[in-house]
Amino acid sequence: MGKKTKKLTWISVLQILTVAALLGYMQFAVKTGRISKIFIAAPTDIVTKGTDLAVSGKLWPHLLLTLQEVLAGYALAAGIGILLGFLWVLFPKLEKYMSVFCSAIMAVPKTAVLPLLILWFGIGFQSKVFLIFLFGVFTILYNTVTGAKQCSEDYVKVARVFEATRLQLVFRVMVPAALPSVFNGLRLAAATALTGVVFAEMQSAKAGLGFLLSEAQNNLDTARVFFIIILITLISVGFVKIIQGIEYIVCHKWRKV
Amino acid sequence: MPTIKISHLYKTYAGSDGEGTDALEDISLEIRDGEFVCVVGPSGCGKSTLLEIVAGLLKHDSGSVTLDGVPVNGTSRDIGVVFQSPSLYPWRTVARNIALGMEFSRVPKAEQEKRLKKYIELMNLKGFENKYPGQLSGGMRQRAGIARALVMDPKVILMDEPFSAVDHLTRCTLQDELVRIRQEEKKTVLFITHDLNEAVYLADRVILLSPRPGRIQEEYTVSTPSPRSRGDEYLNHLAARIMADINRGSREEAPEYSI
Ligand SMILES: Nc1ncnc2c1ncn2[C@@H]1O[C@H](COP(=O)(O)OP(=O)(O)OP(=O)(O)O)[C@@H](O)[C@H]1O
Ligand SMILES: [Mg+2]
Repeated sequence: MGKKTKKLTWISVLQILTVAALLGYMQFAVKTGRISKIFIAAPTDIVTKGTDLAVSGKLWPHLLLTLQEVLAGYALAAGIGILLGFLWVLFPKLEKYMSVFCSAIMAVPKTAVLPLLILWFGIGFQSKVFLIFLFGVFTILYNTVTGAKQCSEDYVKVARVFEATRLQLVFRVMVPAALPSVFNGLRLAAATALTGVVFAEMQSAKAGLGFLLSEAQNNLDTARVFFIIILITLISVGFVKIIQGIEYIVCHKWRKV
Repeated sequence: MPTIKISHLYKTYAGSDGEGTDALEDISLEIRDGEFVCVVGPSGCGKSTLLEIVAGLLKHDSGSVTLDGVPVNGTSRDIGVVFQSPSLYPWRTVARNIALGMEFSRVPKAEQEKRLKKYIELMNLKGFENKYPGQLSGGMRQRAGIARALVMDPKVILMDEPFSAVDHLTRCTLQDELVRIRQEEKKTVLFITHDLNEAVYLADRVILLSPRPGRIQEEYTVSTPSPRSRGDEYLNHLAARIMADINRGSREEAPEYSI
């Protein structure tokens, strides 16, 4: 046991050294002019640019907008995906009718639809929200359906013996039985939500982190590009962690999450 | 007078290939108020099918099942069921699982707690009320499944191999517990088991079903008064006789199944 811990520690040290060496080299290479700062950025420059953006106040409206778009699109995808998933299982005819259309829409690469979304909703808030919605809704829908169908027949039998009403059967048996699978979908969708919004903002927007990113790119401000990439990554990871946290709070007592 | 009356019951499962499976054939059986009837028979002969029909969980093809003269037509508050596998809800604590039926039928909270306490003690689950099923042993889960049925105080209890997953020692304790409960609370019990010694130890009457399709092959009345002793010579002898009849039954059926 002690040996294993020691081994792990050594690996961690090695990992930290690798990162430090990489950062050190970036700093050295840019500052001595070996590599042009158009290609990579010195870590200190990334920090300075980031601080500038934050202190000058330029960052916040963009950050806020992107977060709002993600939250709105994701909430919409979660709400509709989960609701529709349960409706499909409760009314199999509905699934039969809708699933062909859903499969067809799902097969379209979402980013290719962006031009249409812009035509329909403009380049503002709405087109972004809709794209994020499209990115997430099918993952959530199909995971919910799988979960609700998995609700074992034995659970339903027990409920029938106790004369559960239809509502009780749905909310006290089917929904909790499907929860693990629903959260699976929510987690996967959270991981892709940022991809959608950043892509859309880079293509066409007047604000947002994606817009900032392409602006920095156009100005050949590579340090700022690095900073925004790091920021977006952190938001994305944080988002997934929040969903996992909710899952933990809801399910950890009875499930090993 | 509460009686289960089954007459000329037939059940065939529809198969996907058009070939149905005949599960039950011409079953007629009357279970009197307060009687303890065990059903035994080879695996796949239709015991669980019979139980689910009486429970109102499964529709039969022809014949009739009545409880107190009223046709069984869907599940009923008067009938409690203990399933072959307890199927507790993993997202509920043991106590909330046992309270499931009371919750569904909106029994007041105070009353729920009172009854819970009694059956948790009775089933020896004290200290595990707030654990989740995933944290229990197989035997504890079965006991929770039994408590979940008993706590609703049904007149009739249907039990499908309820002790199959417990070790021998726990099994004996649970059997004695069941004998006590049904004497104290005057329950009518239909009990399915594979274990002939268990059947003769518990039952007033043992019904032997033939291999599929299940027909009533033989009936045995066990008149030994309780408390019974496990080593009882008459009971052992009866179990051996049932065993012999089972073997005879499957031999007679043999030609049907060969080739
Ligand atoms: N849902 C079903 N669809 C089709 N056939 C079924 C179904 N359920 C049971 N059967 C068949 O009906 C027969 C009786 O099944 P049943 O479960 O009642 O047997 P059993 O006596 O309880 O067996 P065991 O002792 O193994 O529990 C079996 O041959 C089984 O294959
Ligand atoms: Mg069975």
